[in-house]
Amino acid sequence: MSAYFIRRFLLIVPTFIGITLLVFAVTRVVPGGPIERMMTAAMISGEQAGARRDTQSGNTLSEEQIQQLEAYYGFDKPILQSYADWLGKVLQFDLGESSRYHDPVWHIIKERFPVSIFYGLTTLIITYLVCIPLGVSKALHHNSWFDNASSAVIFLGYALPSYVVGIALVSLFAAHWDVFPLGGFVSDDYDELNTWNKFKDILYHGTLPLIAYMAGSFAVTTFMMKNALMDNQAADYMRTAAAKGLTRSKAVWRHAFRNSLIPIATSFGGNIAFFMSGSFLIETIFNIDGIGLLGYEAILERDYPVVLGILVITSLLFLIGNIISDFLVALVDPRIRFGEAR
Amino acid sequence: MLRLNPVARKRLERFKAIRRGYYSAIILAVLFVLSLGAELIASQRALLVVYEGEWYFPTYGDIIPGETFGFDYRYETDYKALKTRLEANGEGLVIMPPVPYGPLETDLAVGDFPPHAPSLETKHYLGTDTSGRDVLARIIYGFRIALLFSLLLLVFNYLIGVSIGCLMGFWGGSFDLIFQRIIEIWSNVPFLYVIMIVASIVQPGFWTLVAIMVFFGWTGITWYMRTATYKEAARDYVMAARAIGASNSRIVFRHILPNSVSTLITFVPFSVAGGITSLTALDYLGFGLPPPTPSWGELLKQGTENLDSLWMVMSVVVAMTLVLMLVTYIGEAIREAFDPRKFSYYE
Repeated sequence: MSAYFIRRFLLIVPTFIGITLLVFAVTRVVPGGPIERMMTAAMISGEQAGARRDTQSGNTLSEEQIQQLEAYYGFDKPILQSYADWLGKVLQFDLGESSRYHDPVWHIIKERFPVSIFYGLTTLIITYLVCIPLGVSKALHHNSWFDNASSAVIFLGYALPSYVVGIALVSLFAAHWDVFPLGGFVSDDYDELNTWNKFKDILYHGTLPLIAYMAGSFAVTTFMMKNALMDNQAADYMRTAAAKGLTRSKAVWRHAFRNSLIPIATSFGGNIAFFMSGSFLIETIFNIDGIGLLGYEAILERDYPVVLGILVITSLLFLIGNIISDFLVALVDPRIRFGEAR
Repeated sequence: MLRLNPVARKRLERFKAIRRGYYSAIILAVLFVLSLGAELIASQRALLVVYEGEWYFPTYGDIIPGETFGFDYRYETDYKALKTRLEANGEGLVIMPPVPYGPLETDLAVGDFPPHAPSLETKHYLGTDTSGRDVLARIIYGFRIALLFSLLLLVFNYLIGVSIGCLMGFWGGSFDLIFQRIIEIWSNVPFLYVIMIVASIVQPGFWTLVAIMVFFGWTGITWYMRTATYKEAARDYVMAARAIGASNSRIVFRHILPNSVSTLITFVPFSVAGGITSLTALDYLGFGLPPPTPSWGELLKQGTENLDSLWMVMSVVVAMTLVLMLVTYIGEAIREAFDPRKFSYYE
């Protein structure tokens, strides 16, 4: 089994190279010369997105930026060679320098990470804390009024993408009724507040984004828990448990519940990666200064070192998250032996 | 009439028995057919003009210049003005569509600056957007584009997925291995992020956007088809077919495909929902279809930039909720029809 996981970790390397090479090539193999493209596209999107951007950054790339880009991508060199140069730098933890801020990319990303992690972890914790008990009680009282009523609400979150939920929340609760702020992570006077007020301030700003973040994963996790438990309740070993005289609650908690956690564990790794890297849609809507918003702005501003840097980090998180998922599955389900009976 | 095999017929009956999903399917089909004739519901062109004893149906076809109806210009007739004129002097009849505005028509005549709030009087039932275009008209046309877009996406994704996946499962060997690696790479690419990068470089039109999204989206179905083909190919009836001398292509097309493709239909509603969702997200972020294409995402963007004008955001949110709920209900019902689980408890 450990051989299997070692192989999985080694396989990260070719997959990672594949992903980054793909995106790298896409930014290069574009008809009309990438730099000119970027310039015209920068002008066009500059006009479209003018309202969102500060006027300082300008609509065209400066001469200096063009030279930087040319040097960065090595446009005089073939794709593979310039990719190899880039990859070589990444291996030394050098993601290059942002063409917008003139700061090392790694610094910029590191600065934004805590915000994304805060929302990611909080969402993850609340989701599992609420969804597992909710799913269990829905399974145990299948078709009761509580089950049906909660299903109706959860179904809405399941059908709607989280960014639509976010937009609806912002326009109703922030703009229309003015209950919550329009966006941001903390208030301007955050540093002067005491601990309790700091906590309140974060909560005040965080409520709406957290609901939006949770809308998607909440429904999936609850239904997963419910369906898994219902499946397991109908399993043969539960009949055995009933036959040997266990009460239903004992049988459920000792046998069915544990087995039902397996599919939840499968989704755990993917969720980690998803929440760590932040959702650029939600961060854009709520104007939260995290990784997602950074990536979105970097694309708009054609800050390719940052775009590629974020891609490096999110794809690594996804790859590692997948392995963590498999590892967790193997941990909770001793029947699964990866790499042996395949 | 299509002859269905007994299993499929049973599934269809089970699907019909799930009332919520069945009615959702009917409602969605009606909405889709209605949207195909959107020009008859929301347009600046009249449905029917009776002028000097002649009947005109301006909705489809070339523009009818204003001269025809006694105006002094040669560009397209302003039917709303014509209606007012003819009603005043009783010379003829103009019947306008229920929403007398086209999706691209800017209406700056009413009062102050757009966006205008919903009003029955001006017949902007859901108000106008920031350029004075009717929200309801744009929602109707946007629905048609979004649905056609996701259906096209679905067809291409499934065509590629089914053929490559089937070959992977049937041939196995190095072909399978190579595509396994490719799929592993593709499925780990952050989908929306990479599409945004591509779309920021190539300003996409409708077909380019379909191509880009197919390019990054075909892997899910491929993986499923590979597994399904593997399972089918190992079954006895395939061996029996081979024993009586059936060719490879016959085995694939007559035996394996019919048996594995039928379950693909359980994915269809969720693919459609996914298509609508991603297109709207891309439009919202400004990387989708080029303006002035009517689109829900673009309307959402305008709405979030003008939060005082709640009608823009709310119209899209309600429309999206409605459509996605219908699609999801259908999806759940199909899934249940294919996999009728009977739950039992032991107490």
